[in-house]
Amino acid sequence: MISLPKPDAQFRPGRCAIVGAGTSRLGQVPGVSSLDLTIEAIANALADSGLRPADVDGIICRGPDESYAHHQLVGERLGLNVRFSTSLDNGGASQILSVMLAAMAIEAGLATTVVCGYGRDAWSRTHRSEDTRVKQRTRPESQYAQEFGPEYGYFGAVAAHAFGAQRHMHEFGTTREQFAEVAIACREYALKNPDAQMQKPLTLEDYFKARLIVSPFNLFDCSLRSDGAGAVIVTSAERARDLKARPVLIKGFGSFNNLTGWFADDNMIRTAAKESGETAYRMAGVAPSDVSTAQLYDCFTYMVIVQLEDYGFCKKGEGGPFAQSGALRLGGRLPTNTSGGQLSEAHVEGMLQIVEGVRQLQRIYPRERQVKDAEIALISGHGGNQVCHSTLILGRA
Amino acid sequence: MVEAKPQPSPSPESTPFWDGAKAHRLLLPRCNACRRFWFPPSRRCVHCLSADFAWVESAGAGRIYSFVVFHRVYHPGFEQDVPYTVAIVELDEGPRLIANIVGRSPDDVRCDMRVRVVFEERGEQAIPQFEVVR
Repeated sequence: MISLPKPDAQFRPGRCAIVGAGTSRLGQVPGVSSLDLTIEAIANALADSGLRPADVDGIICRGPDESYAHHQLVGERLGLNVRFSTSLDNGGASQILSVMLAAMAIEAGLATTVVCGYGRDAWSRTHRSEDTRVKQRTRPESQYAQEFGPEYGYFGAVAAHAFGAQRHMHEFGTTREQFAEVAIACREYALKNPDAQMQKPLTLEDYFKARLIVSPFNLFDCSLRSDGAGAVIVTSAERARDLKARPVLIKGFGSFNNLTGWFADDNMIRTAAKESGETAYRMAGVAPSDVSTAQLYDCFTYMVIVQLEDYGFCKKGEGGPFAQSGALRLGGRLPTNTSGGQLSEAHVEGMLQIVEGVRQLQRIYPRERQVKDAEIALISGHGGNQVCHSTLILGRA
Repeated sequence: MVEAKPQPSPSPESTPFWDGAKAHRLLLPRCNACRRFWFPPSRRCVHCLSADFAWVESAGAGRIYSFVVFHRVYHPGFEQDVPYTVAIVELDEGPRLIANIVGRSPDDVRCDMRVRVVFEERGEQAIPQFEVVR
């Protein structure tokens, strides 16, 4: 166990803020590149904040996996030269990392106003033809394993996460009914979100009738193939006061990376969310019981259950019963993935979770979708072969 | 025509492992400094970074740490096999390997079952697989 860094090395919470959030069209957006979707989301985030492109002096992005120096393409389309800019490579943990890095750059005096954006065209890419739909590959061929996997018919992220789900079921008695509750809770939220990709109700019966993909996962345990993008604008809390949108304070963040691998130790049932969360809670000076809403990286239903435990919302092994108690629903103990999440809104690798956390704290939603008295949001990101994790804690200003 | 299953493409580091498999021997890198095993193969011990290691034959026994069952065909070579089991096997020596659980219905596979290595001939190569020990 690696000890936490010394408190005097800490970032000061609440000195940076998110002052604008935006999304592109979501779901099935044929004929639009991931870069175009990203620019669409950034334009909407800038409009939300009331800032002009010329006010931006930082761009942190992530491109499609085959892209090189993607932030340069983004800057070119925004017509900007900026002080601080880079592209990140931690998979689904990258998007929170971009907000963390933005806040650190602002605190270090390297930039004043940073755009963080990410977009993908996973639906269009995999539905271009029957062949691409069947192969379902979104990464370049060269990135796939050449041994210790393909010869055994072991492919893909569904199976990798399903291993974790199976071991969790074995150790803690977690059930598929509990996975189903995660999928259904997300779908209920999506039905209240006009932008969500999935607009049909999902019942427990529908869940158990669905085809198995890689068991224990069936179709509804898996997140969506989506086109879409999201973006947020980060600046100092001081500057945020004069802007158009109600700012949301960056209270804390953390990351942890189990680089020894998803298969090592018990990493698949005690994830990097634990250490990442501890770092973020300490920085923010809050406890799990202070969190009003969680936006947890739901690439698969099981990942929500294990993160509920690792973030301390319940004890290890009790994520299933916690979900089943109705805790994730609006009015429950911890309204979670209130946009519908990646299971039912759209899968943009955690970027939309940040946008949703901001909007819940701005309390802009109609009552049927708004978390009552939302003060603190915890947002998670997970990716990079399942081992990179990042946490963002936001607070209402 | 049934498409062939993929063959492993050994790296320079893993070639001794696959050569051993051809001779039906499950070889693992073991550190001569700290005496520990690791996997997948690399040129230095992941525990102590010593470059002094040897290829040592595993007893081929272990347990199923976790497993999944593929119901969907991701590669045409496995079209006849679905549903098939892919497991993470933890060898008694410590390392974990991916393998199929052969000779048993996926419905009857459980975590922590004891397994032992068997070798599947596949063209020029032999592939380590595991079967449940009764």
